[in-house]
Amino acid sequence: MIKATNYKIAQGHLTSRVKQALVAMLSVTFGISMYIFMNGFMTGVNDIQEELAFSTLAHIRIYNDLPEDRSNLLVNYYQGDKLVNLRHPKVIQYTEGIVNADKVINTVSQLDELAEITAQVNMNVFYRNGLTQVNGMLAGIDATMEHRLFSIAESMKEGSWVALDHRSDGIILGVGLAKKLSLGMNDNVVVKTADGVTRNFKIIGLLETSLASVDNGKAFIQINVARQLVLKNHSYATDIQVNLKDFDSSREVARKIDTLVGYKVESWNDANGQLEAGNELRNYLAIAVSLTILLVAGFGIYNIMNMTVNEKIKEIAILKAMGFEGGDIVEIFLVQSIIIGLIGGVVGVIFGGVVSVLINNIPFELATIKTLPMAYRMSDYLSAFGFGMLTTFIAGYLPAKMASKVDPVEIIRG
Amino acid sequence: MENNTVLSARNISKYFYEPAIFQALKELSFDVKKGEFLALIGKSGSGKSTLLYVLSTMDTNYEGELLMNNEKLTGKTQNELAAFRNANIGFVFQFHYLLPEFSAIHNVMLPALKLGKKSKEQIHQDALENLDLLGIKDQAYKSANKLSGGQQQRVAIARALINEPAIIMGDEPTGNLDSKNTDIVFDIFRELAEERGQTIIAVTHDDEFAAKSDRVLELSDGLIL
Repeated sequence: MIKATNYKIAQGHLTSRVKQALVAMLSVTFGISMYIFMNGFMTGVNDIQEELAFSTLAHIRIYNDLPEDRSNLLVNYYQGDKLVNLRHPKVIQYTEGIVNADKVINTVSQLDELAEITAQVNMNVFYRNGLTQVNGMLAGIDATMEHRLFSIAESMKEGSWVALDHRSDGIILGVGLAKKLSLGMNDNVVVKTADGVTRNFKIIGLLETSLASVDNGKAFIQINVARQLVLKNHSYATDIQVNLKDFDSSREVARKIDTLVGYKVESWNDANGQLEAGNELRNYLAIAVSLTILLVAGFGIYNIMNMTVNEKIKEIAILKAMGFEGGDIVEIFLVQSIIIGLIGGVVGVIFGGVVSVLINNIPFELATIKTLPMAYRMSDYLSAFGFGMLTTFIAGYLPAKMASKVDPVEIIRG
Repeated sequence: MENNTVLSARNISKYFYEPAIFQALKELSFDVKKGEFLALIGKSGSGKSTLLYVLSTMDTNYEGELLMNNEKLTGKTQNELAAFRNANIGFVFQFHYLLPEFSAIHNVMLPALKLGKKSKEQIHQDALENLDLLGIKDQAYKSANKLSGGQQQRVAIARALINEPAIIMGDEPTGNLDSKNTDIVFDIFRELAEERGQTIIAVTHDDEFAAKSDRVLELSDGLIL
């Protein structure tokens, strides 16, 4: 406990130099608010990035990968410095896609971590309108389920997304693709698969997601119609997309699913390492910058406390002569920096919140973003305050310790 | 040892090592009795101040033994000595060294608040009495840096008295005062010694001041003459 007398002396020191104390407080305020703002902004950017990524990307994708490369059949028989001639080995995929998707979906649906799951039949096709021919992706999907995973209905420019569930002759085109084909709503488009199957669809919707790969080269039809196009059975799928309650656990859950189904199971972060790397790097950057600012704030406090100690060195000597112990002196000076830190910190947390709100309202229109992104996480505010207090404590303790070592005889005798 | 001995110095020697080895005190031994007003005099460099700071327990880098109220102080830790000083020694320096942010009375109360033996109200009461004794009760609530030099020195004396210490030590207590204030301070010391039986050890180069004390120890080259 801080002794009332020591506290009183500390208070005296502080009130005798309000201006310098205010400057030190401001440096703490600035440091803490910058910490909050930087981390909030970076987290906001990361969140937006993830939101954008997850508008086309599921947390886990299950698909039929090429089988393992076993083309070197002799590897077990001839080893070492023997020369073997093996001609034209091939990796052959006997099954294409997931033949019994319903079974896989049923199995995976048992997992507690699962949020949504849907099957897709994806293929490369040609879109034709008269003489114009454009190649692109065609996805056979369950419109309702697809929306649950990717919130895709929100990106509709014209028409209704869920209408696709009732229109086996309907197709929804990306706006760019429609433009390339010079087509609009209610026009007809011919789809031609790689195996030469053609079919006519009516455009019942146009999609604008701001992702060029979707807008300029993708269309959606009912999954059953897609199965017909590729001449497959009623439970066929090329991909099964899974969303989890917590996407951070994707890797572990993917590993778990891998043991349950006989197909390739890939988590979003394995498939898109750059997303995760970007997030991590931004986080490091935010931490590095904000800790540097806090460090500068620490130097501010260190500086003012050093000045105070030097200015009050005769008082320290007399206090020691009167019987104040080293610990009392440490207390007197540490209390001052802690008061500076506490006031500066509380103001800093509030100021950081205000700055975050202001920045969050700056217009910034790009893709689906309207203003600069910002995250408001309790943990950022708490750790900003915590780091601020730690800096203050260390920056205050060093001069206080120095003060406690003052030799009164030396000072009083001059 | 007689009961009324307050302070005993036994073979006190003190060396300075910078810039060259130099023996400032040479095996000094003496006793101070209760109620004695002792003046330490000597030329500058004679070792009188050095001796006072050894006696004050603030300087622990000496050889020999120091006893106060039959308690051996040599060898105690800094914190133990700080607590001992707080309860048993009052200081008056050449420069008053009051805390400028505090009022006169708060400065006086400070050592007693640190000691923590009495209630705050009691300490306040005692501090007022001490200021009254020194004739500056009317200045009690003024900020310390608004007082005159003589008034500040009297506040410092009141502060030295607040814990009813065994000894008051003064390092040139009148060195910074004009003759009128010097007389006032001296009279106060005289009165304290006679009426309250207060032991006082003061370093001075003021011969007049020394002449009025009970006993004079004159130092020269680290020896008592």
